[in-house]
Amino acid sequence: MARPTRSGRLGFVPPRFGPAVVGGAEAVQAEIARTLADRGWEVEILTTCARDHFTWENVFPPGVSRDGDLTVRRFPAVVDTPRAERAALEARLLAGERLTLGEQQRWMNDDMRVPELFHHLLLHAEEYRALIFTPYLFWTTFACGQIAPERTVLWACVHDEPQAALELFRPLFTGAAGAWFQSEPEHELAHDLGLATGHHRVVGCGMHVPDGYDPEGWRRRHGIEGRLLYYAGRREGGKGWERLLDGFARATAAADLPFTLVTTGTGTVAPPPGLPGRVIDLGIVSDDERNDVMAAADAYLQPSRHEAFSRTIMEAWLAGTPVIANAASDVVRWHCERSGAGLLYDDDAELEQCLRFVADEPAAAAALAKPGREYVLDNYAWPEFVDRIEECLEAWV
Amino acid sequence: MSEPQRILMVAPYPPHRDGIAAYAVQEASRLLREGHQLEVLSPGPSAAHHHLDLKGTRGALALAKRVRRYDRLVVQFHPDLFYEVPSSAGGHAATSAALGLAFRLARSTEVRVHEIDYTLGRAPAPVGPAVVAMLRSIDRLVVHTEVERRAFLDAFRIDPHRVEVADHGGSFVRRTNLDRAGARRRLGIAEDVFSFLSIGFIQPHKGFDRAVEAFAALTAAGLGSPRARLDVVGSVRVEEPDYVAHLDRLRELAAATPGVTIHSGYVSDELFDIWLVAADLVVLPYRRIWSSSVLERAALYDRPVVATRVGGLADQAPAGAVLVEDDEGLVAAMRAAVEPEAARSAGGAAAGPWPSGPLDRERVQAEIRARGAAARGAVPRREDGPPSARALASAVEVSAPVRRIAPLVLPPPVSARPGASALKRVVHRLTAWQLDPVVAQVNALHRAIVAMTDTLAAESTPQRGGSAADGHAETQEAT
Repeated sequence: MARPTRSGRLGFVPPRFGPAVVGGAEAVQAEIARTLADRGWEVEILTTCARDHFTWENVFPPGVSRDGDLTVRRFPAVVDTPRAERAALEARLLAGERLTLGEQQRWMNDDMRVPELFHHLLLHAEEYRALIFTPYLFWTTFACGQIAPERTVLWACVHDEPQAALELFRPLFTGAAGAWFQSEPEHELAHDLGLATGHHRVVGCGMHVPDGYDPEGWRRRHGIEGRLLYYAGRREGGKGWERLLDGFARATAAADLPFTLVTTGTGTVAPPPGLPGRVIDLGIVSDDERNDVMAAADAYLQPSRHEAFSRTIMEAWLAGTPVIANAASDVVRWHCERSGAGLLYDDDAELEQCLRFVADEPAAAAALAKPGREYVLDNYAWPEFVDRIEECLEAWV
Repeated sequence: MSEPQRILMVAPYPPHRDGIAAYAVQEASRLLREGHQLEVLSPGPSAAHHHLDLKGTRGALALAKRVRRYDRLVVQFHPDLFYEVPSSAGGHAATSAALGLAFRLARSTEVRVHEIDYTLGRAPAPVGPAVVAMLRSIDRLVVHTEVERRAFLDAFRIDPHRVEVADHGGSFVRRTNLDRAGARRRLGIAEDVFSFLSIGFIQPHKGFDRAVEAFAALTAAGLGSPRARLDVVGSVRVEEPDYVAHLDRLRELAAATPGVTIHSGYVSDELFDIWLVAADLVVLPYRRIWSSSVLERAALYDRPVVATRVGGLADQAPAGAVLVEDDEGLVAAMRAAVEPEAARSAGGAAAGPWPSGPLDRERVQAEIRARGAAARGAVPRREDGPPSARALASAVEVSAPVRRIAPLVLPPPVSARPGASALKRVVHRLTAWQLDPVVAQVNALHRAIVAMTDTLAAESTPQRGGSAADGHAETQEAT
């Protein structure tokens, strides 16, 4: 590509930013921002004061601060309604009902809002060469991404979920200067929904390759022995966590499986009865700790059907760990089939069989993971990924 | 610039989709850029700093509690923001009184009037006097056209010095940098197609069904689809049965009219402007309106507009905008836009000279009929060329009895009797959702019968040369 000019200020607008913020989109945005700053771009983060995406409690102070090479502008998140109407409308949406445009607008606005961020961009959007918003579902993206659409670039994170089909979102996508997609299935879905009409590109996602892994050290530090399965991320219904726990409980009871399920991240764990001591929650851990658990695990479990990329399965493959994933996710299925390094399940019975395979054939399971590492290195190396990001920025804004 | 002030703006606000919200955010941007400390209060959760249910006495009193904290109160006024619908006379008056209190308590109150019912000014007590008292408590009232100002002063008898005319689009900024070609690429509109656009909230009084009917007439004349298209773009403002029914009817009309597409749904500010940039003619066939943001936004991009002469549009319309009185005028204006040559030909000047030589009244009359028929799109397409003027004139005689029936128009809700106008307006508002579609349907049938009769008659007329002399000879032969 032509040498990037790297002129002008970039504004990244994730709904949350900072230490202990758990979320794939937020984590990637932070990392991209830091890398672009390293490469010579002037980069700002415009975000809320919140860490938790359920309560939106403002825990970081508002105003301007520095985070390495990044300028961080924080604005208070506002939640001043009981959000009951949103919950009711969302229930109808998930039940397959069509919401009127007015209802869609009320659904969007009856949630966390950031008026001060909106007004900051209303006055200062022209000072940014590009404003990069993620994910599409949040008010920060919906409301603020339409202030200066000619500068708006979406790190969309479109999932196959009813919300993505709301007509409310269409102008956000069709009006933006560009949109990045992380996988072909996400790209195809965006086309199916009429969301990929302007500039867009499948840039994938970038992965850093750890220098090494220390699974035994991790076991010693935590006193955890035996064979284990791992899940990392948000423990919530939308990510398939509760369903996974149920399936794991059934499989464990039926097949006398040898595994302990280790989990890290945020959200309530609440294992069902019948799994005493079989689920260990380590909460939020460092990247190194996470990598070590990945390497220690017999398999990584990905129960989510709503994934735009799934960084964690890449982390598992880099660590040489096979993946067992929900086949309902087009994206994860695509990765597993392309790499040949993951097993898929459509129901509890298939999950049980996946786990039986890993329990019964540990060497074969480990061998299954081998092409996964190559797949990640060939397709999702971090420097080349950021090159693609820069190419788009230079071309679109 | 004036001294920085603490200002409270009361308005619908983004990301809620609303013409007044779009207006408000642009004014908010201007006030902030001027250095004022602005806070916005909207009737529901939005990007505004505060939200409050402003309806009724309770809402107005809640507003009154807040206004003392600010140097200036700016209200983007629309009755739906403050008054319950329906409301009793007592409830209406109480709301007016409470609003008046809020306005008086504010250090300075500025109200931008986006809509108000003039008849309220002379409504019997307690409604009328309460509204007038409320309006008189406002320091500065802003309307958008001189016509509105005169009507306002006449209706409410306010000190004229307090009522100003402001440029409706004074704070408007462009939302897209695309040119016509880029906009068309974005929307999938072919470069060589003539694009008519009706855009805005889809509701009966916007009259978008009239644009569809007019486009159908163009198509019947060979000037509509496929060489032209009409896009109706917008969303239903409130999900009330009459509005939804109106949209359903528009969809039915569009389905029956090739070249017409209804794009019903959320339209961002940017997409709104892209539609405008892509259009060759913006068609605003309003049945009633105060002033039009679409007109202002179209002017931002120098897009030609045809609009009905209602409300304050005559004052607001920029130079070059075409204002029409009725559906026939609308068809003619659209025809003139899509094919100026044909329109001139139909209208006269470019149709060639009128018959020369010794005055032959029949020839002139035939020419008049022929040109009139062409103007309303009655020239049939034929394999063997156009009929002569004489033959066409003869043919269109057949439809004359139908054409003599005037289009159906609802009687205007006015009366010389005191109070009767107000009552009629109420009745009109209550029944418009049922009657407007009926009127549109009757007039559509009327036009269809005329077009069908013209076509059948012309097709059964033998074709001969194009000159009036030939026509005359043909007539002689025929007789």
